[in-house]
Amino acid sequence: MYVAQLTLPERRAALALACLVAGLGLTMAVLGRDDLLGTHGALVIACGVVVAIVVMRGFYAPSPSPERLSSYYDDPTRAGIVFAMIWAIVAMAVGDWVAWLLVSPDLTFDAAWSSFGRLRPVHTSGVIFGFGGNALIATSFYVVQRTSRARLPDQVSPWFVLLGFNLFCILAASGYLMGITQSKEYAEPEWYADIWLVIVWVAYFGLYLRTLARRKEPHIYVSNWYYLAFILVVAVLHIVNNLAVPVSLGHAKSYSAFAGVQDAMTEWWYGHNAVAFFLTSGFLGMMYYFMPKRAGRPIFSYRLSIISFWGITFMYMWAGSHHLHYTALPQWVQTLGMTFSLMLLVPSWASATNALLTLNGAWHKVRDDATLRFMMTAAVFYGLTTFEGSFMAIRPVNSLSHYTDWTIGHVHAGALGWVALITFGSLYSIVPSLWGKRAMYSPRLVEVHYWLAIAGTLVYVISMWNSGIVQGLMWRTYNDSGTLAYSFVDSLVAMHPYYVMRAVGGLLFLIGTVVGAYNIWRTMRTPALAEIGDFAEAPARAAPTLAAAE
Amino acid sequence: MFGFHYRLERHALRFVIAVILVAGIGGFVEIAPLFTISETVEAAPDMRLYTPLEVAGRNIYMREGCYACHSQMIRTLRDDVERYGPYSLAVESKYDHPMLWGSKRTGPDLARIGGKYSDEWQVAHLQDPRAVVPESKMPSYAFLGRTPLKTSDLGLHLKALRKVGVPYTGEMVANAPADAYGQAAPDSPYAAGVAQRYGEATQVRAFMGRQGDPTEMDALVAYLQVLGRLTDVAKAQQAQAAE
Amino acid sequence: MTHDFLVWFSKSFGLFWLMAMAAGVLVYTYWPSNQSRFQQAARAVVDDEDKPWR
Repeated sequence: MYVAQLTLPERRAALALACLVAGLGLTMAVLGRDDLLGTHGALVIACGVVVAIVVMRGFYAPSPSPERLSSYYDDPTRAGIVFAMIWAIVAMAVGDWVAWLLVSPDLTFDAAWSSFGRLRPVHTSGVIFGFGGNALIATSFYVVQRTSRARLPDQVSPWFVLLGFNLFCILAASGYLMGITQSKEYAEPEWYADIWLVIVWVAYFGLYLRTLARRKEPHIYVSNWYYLAFILVVAVLHIVNNLAVPVSLGHAKSYSAFAGVQDAMTEWWYGHNAVAFFLTSGFLGMMYYFMPKRAGRPIFSYRLSIISFWGITFMYMWAGSHHLHYTALPQWVQTLGMTFSLMLLVPSWASATNALLTLNGAWHKVRDDATLRFMMTAAVFYGLTTFEGSFMAIRPVNSLSHYTDWTIGHVHAGALGWVALITFGSLYSIVPSLWGKRAMYSPRLVEVHYWLAIAGTLVYVISMWNSGIVQGLMWRTYNDSGTLAYSFVDSLVAMHPYYVMRAVGGLLFLIGTVVGAYNIWRTMRTPALAEIGDFAEAPARAAPTLAAAE
Repeated sequence: MFGFHYRLERHALRFVIAVILVAGIGGFVEIAPLFTISETVEAAPDMRLYTPLEVAGRNIYMREGCYACHSQMIRTLRDDVERYGPYSLAVESKYDHPMLWGSKRTGPDLARIGGKYSDEWQVAHLQDPRAVVPESKMPSYAFLGRTPLKTSDLGLHLKALRKVGVPYTGEMVANAPADAYGQAAPDSPYAAGVAQRYGEATQVRAFMGRQGDPTEMDALVAYLQVLGRLTDVAKAQQAQAAE
Repeated sequence: MTHDFLVWFSKSFGLFWLMAMAAGVLVYTYWPSNQSRFQQAARAVVDDEDKPWR
């Protein structure tokens, strides 16, 4: 059905691209026939062929009416939302599964793929890239069109970006299970997947700029600043951190161009800025659009949002070294990282405050509307987590918190409390209109999801705070004779109850996500307004203007 | 019409350039000094290279995601040093592409695990961790002992490492598969070349207690047993500080 | 290009860069003629935007 919206030249281009991808897969399969690279080649062929078949089946459908040009192009956004929810369920389920593995480590069935070490990156990449990335791409297409009052410039490149990105995610997740990894945290995919992501990302950047170039207003709305910074800086981080030399063109394995202390600094420069520009900047873009929209009030201070934008863009770049306190990294770099991490509190809290003050005068809506409450709570968690992050970057605090579960708790306060909640809030606010419905299938279920998500996040974060602090204190406790009081195993035993609690908290959050996905699915399928068609595309409202030839 | 569009696009591009300047220069200025850091890093003339078997073991360590639960970085804190040994020096990971400092200790730090336990203990522990440490949270890695190690392409691995700056000689590259075999088979004719190429301190042993084609378990144990023992500079520095 | 020089450069130029950037941003944000544009942009989001202008 999505193919019918493409014009004939666009269908040809889509088919050519799908065949090109399948051809790339064939090259990989031939070159890497003695290696796991060959398996991935087969997977790429399969993906290319599936897309080609889908395009061919709709190839001779009637051409779309020119009226499509007088509405926004939301098909990729719809598909992106579906992908995001699928990845959310898969990745959170894997996450909860590995949490149970730490409770009961014998659940690996004596197999290689099922161990904690191989499943963990499936969880992290699945959540960050699969869920977060798809949500960012989907909402960025939605937001850039509306804030620019301009339709996406063509109908092929958004699909290339979305499907190409998902191919990257599939290569990543399946690779980990087979044992393909660079072992760089949050940048585990190997060289060929990295190169592919660069291609996709360049197309994404180009698409975004081309859409902005079609806008009417001279000023670019601030959400687009955040989205654009996310696209740009992630490209820079990704390319630099993944510089590597493959063993050969037929090997999946590569060796990082950096070693030792340089590699550590590059990795955490990347790692921390992935938090900044993937998990913060992009989602702030989401917040600055969907929250005012849902509350029906303009952002409290537009100027403050600009100031915090530049603050975040500048200062995050320097903060990465706080991951390496007391290590072999030179002391001055550690101090620099700590200082900038503390200064980061200013723009971070400016954003959080700005969001909450926007709701002034709309608090009754927050009370009644779980969707807006999702976003409000996300802003609160954003404020809490950035405070905690700055606090943990202080060297003496870090000496206690580092290497412990406190870090895990901090990350999840951000990922569950901020990233996931703002995403769910944004998705709930656009899903009904995107599928031509008046409201979500069940507002009650949105409410249920909200409380499950909050309960899950709190249980998770509190148990990890406890375990982290207990662990950190046990490691540094001395007895009267001046020797270490606890062995490492003692601290491990003390963790057990917290690990059970954490896995339960994760399960609550996962159930909430499943409820949300069910609700979205039912909304898509309700016939209520479906016969009227997508309200934005209803012919009666079509303006007679045609796009001027570029 | 054209002029109007041109102005609009210039606006977006100006913004793009501003982001690159603000973020890019910030990042560059911070990282640049690290690339001349070799001038300030301690010298370790006795530093050995990983043997092909140890490289293979290191790759298994990465493949299985061991770094997700074990750090390889002893901080300069008293309790870290007393628990795990002399704090890690930058020079000790100068051939680590990539580094495996890690970020989480669900299990203990492994920077100086080499030689702390016997080969038998390591093998038994990897096969069934809870048979050795009842409270352990580690999964079983028994399948490593059943999987033969792929050694045929180790020369290519060494070559790639040489490209990124590890000083492997042509002789090392050419003999990589034989050296991998010989290191785990001390009675074989291939064993002598290992110590000759990689130094007398190289551990040539039947890590799993039997000789022949090495398994992935042999490689991983060989790697674990060399951790923290490529150079003595950290221990020497600690002894010097104690005086 | 010695290490000491690069460290010195990072520390001094980094600080200068931070100050220059902060000043630039504040000037841009509070430049009087920009104010109406910002207010318009903030309001534009909540307004009706159900179809592209072209």
